[in-house]
Amino acid sequence: MSASTRTRRTRPAQFPWDLVGLVLLAVAVAFAPDLLKALFGRASVSYLSIATNALSLSILALSWDVLARTGQLSLAHAAFYGAGAYTTALLARHADVPLWIGIPLGGLAAVVFALLLGAATLRLRGIYFAIATLSAAEVLKAVVHHLPTGIAGGNAGMNVPTLFRPEFIAGQMERWEVAFLRNEAYFYVYATLLCMTVLASILVQRSRLKHAFTAIRTNEEVAGVMGVRPARLKLLAFVLSSVFVGMLGGVEAHRVGSVLPEQSFSVSTTVLALVTPIFGGLYTTLGPIVGALGLSSVQEGLRRVFSDGYLIGYGVVLVLSILFMPRGVVGLVGGLLRRRGKREAGR
Amino acid sequence: MSDILRVTGLVKHFGGLAAVDGVSFAVEANQIFAIIGPNGAGKTTTLDLVSGLLTPTAGRIEVLGSDVSAATPAQRCHAGLGRAFQVVQPFPEMTLRENVLVGALFGTPGRTRADAERRADAALELSGLAALADVDAEDLTLMQEKRLEIARALATEPSVLLLDEVMAGLRPAEARDAVALVKRVRDSGVTIVFIEHVMPVVRDLADRVLVMDHGKVVVEGSYAEVTQDARVIEAYLGKEEVA
Amino acid sequence: MDTTLLVQALVSGVLAAGLYALVSVGLALAIGVIGIVNFAHGEFFMVGAFLAYQLFVTFGIDPVWSLFIVAPALFALGAIIYTSTIRFVLKAPELNQMLLTFGIGIILQNLALLIWGGDPRTIAGITYRGIGYQIGGVSIGLVPLASFVVSLVLVLGLYWMLARTPLGRAMRAVAQNRTGAALVGLEVNRVYLVAFALSALLAGIGGVMIAVIQSPTPVVGFAFTLKAFAIVVVAGLGNIRGILFAALFVAVAESLVATLVPNGDTLRNAVFFAIIFAVLIRRSWRTA
Ligand SMILES: Nc1ncnc2c1ncn2[C@@H]1O[C@H](COP(=O)(O)OP(=O)(O)OP(=O)(O)O)[C@@H](O)[C@H]1O
Ligand SMILES: [Mg+2]
Repeated sequence: MSASTRTRRTRPAQFPWDLVGLVLLAVAVAFAPDLLKALFGRASVSYLSIATNALSLSILALSWDVLARTGQLSLAHAAFYGAGAYTTALLARHADVPLWIGIPLGGLAAVVFALLLGAATLRLRGIYFAIATLSAAEVLKAVVHHLPTGIAGGNAGMNVPTLFRPEFIAGQMERWEVAFLRNEAYFYVYATLLCMTVLASILVQRSRLKHAFTAIRTNEEVAGVMGVRPARLKLLAFVLSSVFVGMLGGVEAHRVGSVLPEQSFSVSTTVLALVTPIFGGLYTTLGPIVGALGLSSVQEGLRRVFSDGYLIGYGVVLVLSILFMPRGVVGLVGGLLRRRGKREAGR
Repeated sequence: MSDILRVTGLVKHFGGLAAVDGVSFAVEANQIFAIIGPNGAGKTTTLDLVSGLLTPTAGRIEVLGSDVSAATPAQRCHAGLGRAFQVVQPFPEMTLRENVLVGALFGTPGRTRADAERRADAALELSGLAALADVDAEDLTLMQEKRLEIARALATEPSVLLLDEVMAGLRPAEARDAVALVKRVRDSGVTIVFIEHVMPVVRDLADRVLVMDHGKVVVEGSYAEVTQDARVIEAYLGKEEVA
Repeated sequence: MDTTLLVQALVSGVLAAGLYALVSVGLALAIGVIGIVNFAHGEFFMVGAFLAYQLFVTFGIDPVWSLFIVAPALFALGAIIYTSTIRFVLKAPELNQMLLTFGIGIILQNLALLIWGGDPRTIAGITYRGIGYQIGGVSIGLVPLASFVVSLVLVLGLYWMLARTPLGRAMRAVAQNRTGAALVGLEVNRVYLVAFALSALLAGIGGVMIAVIQSPTPVVGFAFTLKAFAIVVVAGLGNIRGILFAALFVAVAESLVATLVPNGDTLRNAVFFAIIFAVLIRRSWRTA
């Protein structure tokens, strides 16, 4: 009877904002260097490197968020980053491995560590999970620190060859354009890595994993009883999260030109990885990126205005953002839009 | 061998307390099987052991003839166990449809997305929640929350549905609706094990009744048999009016 | 093996445990009573240290006496921070609390860096710093000993307060049941305020001691935040009594490794965190 003919459309086909956004992002980063050069000339060299830092923060934040979607508030992000950086550096130093192998292997090393850590911490929740992951990261830092100097350089770390050495061609370019070309090349590497991370995040959000992750985050027991396999999916989230930070660590080792225990495994890397998505909006693809761009701009602006102690202002921004937009920038804007939508609908 | 769920010698200790102490029972296909008993008798703990949320101290659990004693909750769900909780716990960040969709997507391995969405809608329809599908699960009344518990469990396509006090706290009219819902579910071919304090509901629904007290089985039989059992009247029914 | 060295390591570990316990117990109070995950806790410790330093430099006040200025000052700082920020996130998700307190920590740490710079600061010319006792080849410094005794007295005093005084009982009641406590007429917000301020005070006193024992820099705070968290977690959230034992366990192990393992001093942190990791993982897999 009518019940069968009244087939409710399962869901109105939605406009694929996420994929369109990814394409827009790709186009924007493709043209960004030339645009900066045209607009700012010589100053674009440093702007490019600031923009690259923002991309780096985006990758860090988005990859952390992917793991957080399962409720695992990891404080080991610096360890994944450092594992990638050191693996890439070791391969470059001892095996002369080409970078297109070295960087993915950095990602792989991060994944291996993440799987071990993820398996060990499967039963831990909340703050216990956080402290356990933090401890594991600190232990890994110390282990790397104490590897024989001949292998990993100990306290002094290792030098890593830079990736790009553009040549200065007299008469055809100015001196600063060499630096521009180098920074531009790095910018594209980072942009590619970010696009890969974004794509992975979008695929998670569009698939059934989104529901599984949310279910595990909000109630792991109930999720299990409903057929979701929490252990397996939590480990999958660890893999998806660590592979991109690991590669980021590898790329960054090449860009910075060195790895050091204190720098590659710095707690502040972890702090940034979690602060940024909270600021931008958790458990979304857009939020961590908005957070990274927002916080990078805030930090850069503050650095220009107050040379010393600008981090004080950064702290103030964090405090105010939690007090006045507890659901992050994306949550705040989304809430405002929804409220306006309701008002218009009410009219 | 038409036993769809068989529990043998189930024991669970919490520290020194034997919350479940040697419980055995078997549920036949398409039965409605009631577990009753005073507060703290170990009923919820028994269901937690059956659905794999707790590890038993001893005992064996079989679903459709296969031993699931060492399986994870998810594996037991895939083997055919569905569960609605006494303390309702919807996923608050999701809409009702998304809540139910979790069960539909993951409750039976290998189901396509479109298939799962259809199944979720069907479960919402059966539970009378279709109109609320796009509401956030944090904005529900108790009755709606209980229906959601059932809908989610149904979406996993269980062979056996474990219901823990789904009538508690409901007004009489609502309870009557819930009874009708349980009957509809049974008629769709699902075996039901339910815990209940409201005796008229047990009388209306149950094919068999298991009475527990202090972690042990007092007696098992039809409603008429158990309500006439002296031990039951002493252990449990003596304290409340028998309807 | 050299037994004197072993005993020396044990004694140093026990003495260090006092300070660890003092700082951790304040954090446990914040987590246990208020339910706030305070990542700025170590900064109270740092502020205490640098206040003592400044009081000495500007007014020549001996750290022993500045304890009586720093303690109320930190109590006030804690109260101000609670009133202006913390009380608004009591019901917020853990992550938001973490970010808020991270923010507060960043502010305090960078203010200190702006004022005192990044170099270690030593309170120069304290005569009693050099005093020590030799017992059968084991040396015990007066300052670590005194800091141990003071810490122990304060920690035990806190235990006594929680167990015996009306305020302590109120704190325990609030910790166990927030709505219930409100129903029986406890002013929950006041209890929280006092608990948070007290937790800052305890950390600040610890800071004064570290200013005498070591030459701290403004980044010392975060390291202590991490250590305090780890100790609190090992003791078990809400288990304020367990803090003393957790601190003892961790400090002694740390000291043993630093003394007995060649090159061990730099492994100190690794041992600390390895213990914590092992304890947490073991505990999680044991309980089914
Ligand atoms: N996780 C636990 N740890 C310790 N004791 C528990 C735990 N869960 C249940 N218990 C105890 O086990 C006993 C049985 O509890 P259970 O919840 O199974 O009772 P019930 O029959 O469902 O009661 P009710 O009708 O009140 O729901 C009770 O004494 C309870 O306090
Ligand atoms: Mg129960």
